[in-house]
Amino acid sequence: MNKKIILLGHYGVGKSSLVRRFVHSQFSEEYITTIGVKIDKKTIQVGDTSLTLLIWDIAGENGQQKIPQSYRLGAHGAIYVFDLSRPATYANLEKEILALQELIPGIPIQILANKLDLSSEKQIAEVMEAIRPYQAKATSAKTGEHVDDAFELLARKILE
Amino acid sequence: MGQGLGFQQLRKILLEQDWEERKELAQKLEQLDGELNTREKLEERVNPILEDQQARIQRDFPVLFGPQITESIKKQIKESQDEVVEVLYPIIGRMIKKYVANEIQMLSDKIDAQMELAMSWEGWKIRIKAWFSGSSQKELMLSQTIEPKIDEIHVIEKNSGLLLGSYTKKPDLDSDMVAGMLTAIKSFVEEAFQTDAQELESIDYQNHKIIIKSFHSFFIAVVCTGTINASFKDKIDNELLNFSQKVLKKAKVAGADGVDEELITEGLEEYFQNFEDLNE
Repeated sequence: MNKKIILLGHYGVGKSSLVRRFVHSQFSEEYITTIGVKIDKKTIQVGDTSLTLLIWDIAGENGQQKIPQSYRLGAHGAIYVFDLSRPATYANLEKEILALQELIPGIPIQILANKLDLSSEKQIAEVMEAIRPYQAKATSAKTGEHVDDAFELLARKILE
Repeated sequence: MGQGLGFQQLRKILLEQDWEERKELAQKLEQLDGELNTREKLEERVNPILEDQQARIQRDFPVLFGPQITESIKKQIKESQDEVVEVLYPIIGRMIKKYVANEIQMLSDKIDAQMELAMSWEGWKIRIKAWFSGSSQKELMLSQTIEPKIDEIHVIEKNSGLLLGSYTKKPDLDSDMVAGMLTAIKSFVEEAFQTDAQELESIDYQNHKIIIKSFHSFFIAVVCTGTINASFKDKIDNELLNFSQKVLKKAKVAGADGVDEELITEGLEEYFQNFEDLNE
C-alpha cells in the first residue's frame, strides 16, 4: 500500500535531515537548502500491513504561503517540523496547521520539535508549553532520537 | 714518596673501570659518528625504513591523500577555468566531432538501405503515400529511419502523484519515484505559470519525449524516443483513451480502496503490445 506524506515547516528546521535519517540512517552537518521538492521512499511494516511511504520533502519558506499548494494535495499524512531553538519557526504553528487542515480536511498531522540535541530539558518544556494545545514529539535528526517513532506514529494514524 | 705511589695505585684501582667504559663509549661515539656522516652507511640503515614507508604510501595513497588531491584539483579548476577550457577544448571538440561523424555515418547507412528499398514494393508504397499525403518521399523515408518507440508508460494519480500502474522496459527503474517527480514537475509548471485551464502536455529532453495525457483524476505519462510526429501522437491519444475507458474504469470499480492497481498493470502489459504496434 502506497501513501503520500508531506513534510512542512520553515527553512532550516531539519526537514531534509529528518528524511535522510529516516530513509538512509544518515546525518550530515552540511546545510543544503531544498529547491522545490525532493521525493524519497521507504517501506515500513505497521502491524500486518506493509506500507510504502512516498515522502515529499517540500522546500521551507518563512511562511507556507509561497509553496505551491498542489504539492500538498492528495497527501495522506503530514509532518510539520519546527526548530526547538528558533521561536520564529513555531510562532505561527496554529495558523499553519489550520491552513493545512482546511486544504486537506481530516489529514493526520504529526508535529515534530526538532534539534532535541541542541536543547536543554527546561527549554523543551518551555516550548511544549508555548505551543499548547498542540503536542509535538521532540526529535533529533542528528542523533536519530525518536525519528523512526515519529514516522511510524504518523503511519499508524494514516491507517486508522 | 711512598705515600704518593700508594695514592697513584689507589687511583688506578678505583678509576680503571671508568677509563675502560669511557674508552668504550668514545669508540661507540666514533662508530656512530661514522655511520651518521658516511652516506653509504647511513643509507644502509635508513633505506629499509624508507622503503617500508614508500610501500605503505603507495598502498594507502588514495586514502592518505585522495581528499586533498580532489580538493586541490577542484580548486585549481575553479581558479583557472579558462586554462582548463583551453586544455580540454581540443580533446572534447575532437570527441564531439567523432561522435557526430559516427552518427551521420549511421544515418547515412540507414538512408542508403532505404534507398535500396526504393525500387522495391515498400519503396513504391512510400511513393504512393507521399503522393497522397503531400509530404516529400525523403521526409517519409527519414521518419521511418528515426521511428518513434515507447519505452515506458506510467499511470499516475493526479493530486497525490502515487503510481497506479506502470509498464517499463527498464526493470531497475523506480516507477514510484518517477511518478512522484513527474507530478511535482507538472504541478510546478501549471501553478507557476498560473494556467488554470491548461495542462503540461509534454516534456522534451534530447532524444526523449514524455507525452502527458491528463484525465480527471489521473494522468498517463508515455516516455518515447525517436521522431514523434502528429500522427504518432494522435495514435497514442486514441490508444490511451481506449485504455482509460476499458481498463481504468474497470480498475476503479474493482478496487475497494481507490483503484485495483494490479488490474491496471496487467492492462498496461496487454495494451503495451498495442502501443508497440503503433510503431509499425
